[in-house]
Amino acid sequence: MNSTTNTSFISPRKILIIAQSTVTQLVRMKVFWFLAPIALLFLGLQFFDVFWYEGPEASQPQQELQMHKNLCLGTMMLFGSLFAIVSTALLIPRDIEDRTLYTILCKPVPRLDYLCGKLLGVIFVIGVAMLVMDLLLVITLHFRTQEVLGEMDGFLESLGWPDDVVAQKKADIAAHGPTLTLQFGVLAHFFKAAIIAAVALLISTFSTSTIFTIATSVLVWIIGALQSIAREAFLNDDTLGESTSWAAKILGTLVSLIFPDFQVFEAVADAAARASEIMAADMIKIAGLAFFYLGIYTVLSWFVFSDKEF
Amino acid sequence: MSKGLAVEIKNLVKDFKPSLRAKTIRAVDDVSLSIQAGDVYGLIGPNGSGKSTTMKALLGLLSPTSGTCSIFGQDSMKVDSRNDVGFLPENPYFYKHLTGAETVRFYGKLCGMKGAELEDRVREMIALVELDAASDRRLGGYSKGMLQRIGLAQALVQDPRLVILDEPTAGVDPTGSRQIRDLILTLKERGITVFLCSHLLEQVQEICDQIGIIHHGKMVREGRLEDLISLEDRTELILDKPSPELLEKIRHLVAAQEGTTLISEGHPRTTLESLFLEETK
Repeated sequence: MNSTTNTSFISPRKILIIAQSTVTQLVRMKVFWFLAPIALLFLGLQFFDVFWYEGPEASQPQQELQMHKNLCLGTMMLFGSLFAIVSTALLIPRDIEDRTLYTILCKPVPRLDYLCGKLLGVIFVIGVAMLVMDLLLVITLHFRTQEVLGEMDGFLESLGWPDDVVAQKKADIAAHGPTLTLQFGVLAHFFKAAIIAAVALLISTFSTSTIFTIATSVLVWIIGALQSIAREAFLNDDTLGESTSWAAKILGTLVSLIFPDFQVFEAVADAAARASEIMAADMIKIAGLAFFYLGIYTVLSWFVFSDKEF
Repeated sequence: MSKGLAVEIKNLVKDFKPSLRAKTIRAVDDVSLSIQAGDVYGLIGPNGSGKSTTMKALLGLLSPTSGTCSIFGQDSMKVDSRNDVGFLPENPYFYKHLTGAETVRFYGKLCGMKGAELEDRVREMIALVELDAASDRRLGGYSKGMLQRIGLAQALVQDPRLVILDEPTAGVDPTGSRQIRDLILTLKERGITVFLCSHLLEQVQEICDQIGIIHHGKMVREGRLEDLISLEDRTELILDKPSPELLEKIRHLVAAQEGTTLISEGHPRTTLESLFLEETK
């Protein structure tokens, strides 16, 4: 080995090597088995009518499709986030306990490369899992949409409505099928899971146990989901006195600085479930926000990890 | 630092504070040592004496409270210094999901190796540690001795000039222990500097050129092995098939020499390790 080799501050190649190893580790840990119950759930939804669905004569037949999407997107969000927390929380503490980390850091590997590699590996696996769940959602939703449209065909013909009204009605229903808007919703959940993984990575750099990392990450996830609602409720509450209002403002600002705000991502996913239009420009902003959070939490992780002693 | 030094530790102090209220514990107290390039250095001492802490500070896994550590003239806290170092920790556990060959390949890639050079090196290292038959098996199924040997293979993958071994034979059976010892001697022949700590004093005596004895975090003795253990005023003669008459003559000569005493005589013994290895061949 050339002793004059200079190790750069950050090496994309080493990050990719560690990411690849993390993917192999997670795949060989059989983490993708968690997709089996989700597949069963998605397929099972095909065979059950939603309990309040009143058939083609109902004024809003697309509600059934919306319900299908809500259930599937909710499941993807839940499993994506839990997967992000558990897999990230397991990786670094396990490397420390097994002393595998010693052998990695004793090679010319900057600590930032190690952290970025681990995070990238987890995000890649989350992406693959999301893609598989998305594919299942698209397939099942496609068949469900075709089924509803088939039912509506006969019903609308029997009403004898003009063709343009029937076409509009059918277009409204088709908009609740597998569209680009739906993909934006899935992407929002993916961003959210990636941010949660970055948060779990930060916590695992100073935590002493996996349980603590998981519990704290779940707490951050809940705070992140609720913080904007709580902040709005606090700041708009006229019954609070002026001093309390100031305290609430400071607390709200602190919380919003420390914890990620997941409400934005939830709003996109909700809009996708309702088949409301989502502008590409909005998605670019959402992606920018996600990368901002990922960057911030990775840099914080590095600050903690760079001086950590083993 | 002089050109021939592989390792130089100067006045190393490492304090730990277990918790905010707890008293500071000094694990390493003003330790200094230097290792010439190509030497095998053994750091010995009881459990908790500061051996592993010294090694970790040298590897940049711990920041010294005060003092400095350098490897071939480079500050050991800098990542670049690790281009020349291979490290085998005590009881290493590598990624169980990887096979032996994948493990060595992974560490080789981390050292910047790739392509045919990497593949050749992986094969060479696997052959060196005699794990050719098990190279495609996952590490989850490896014995302790095999893990130790794959650990050595990963430590050597980038052809480092310095190898640091923390208890390399801990928990390994005598056969595996002998293989590791032979590997260390092979490294020495290749001119690689070895810094090891071990509890097996007999083994350290067999392979080390220099030793340091550390106790309660302080270096109590350090130097060339032969200088430290030789008894200058005593001489040992080992004769092959001496006749009883010759032995008697020697006894008489010794008795006639004023100030010289025959302390003991008898048949030299083999070691238990050699006997075990002979019987389990």
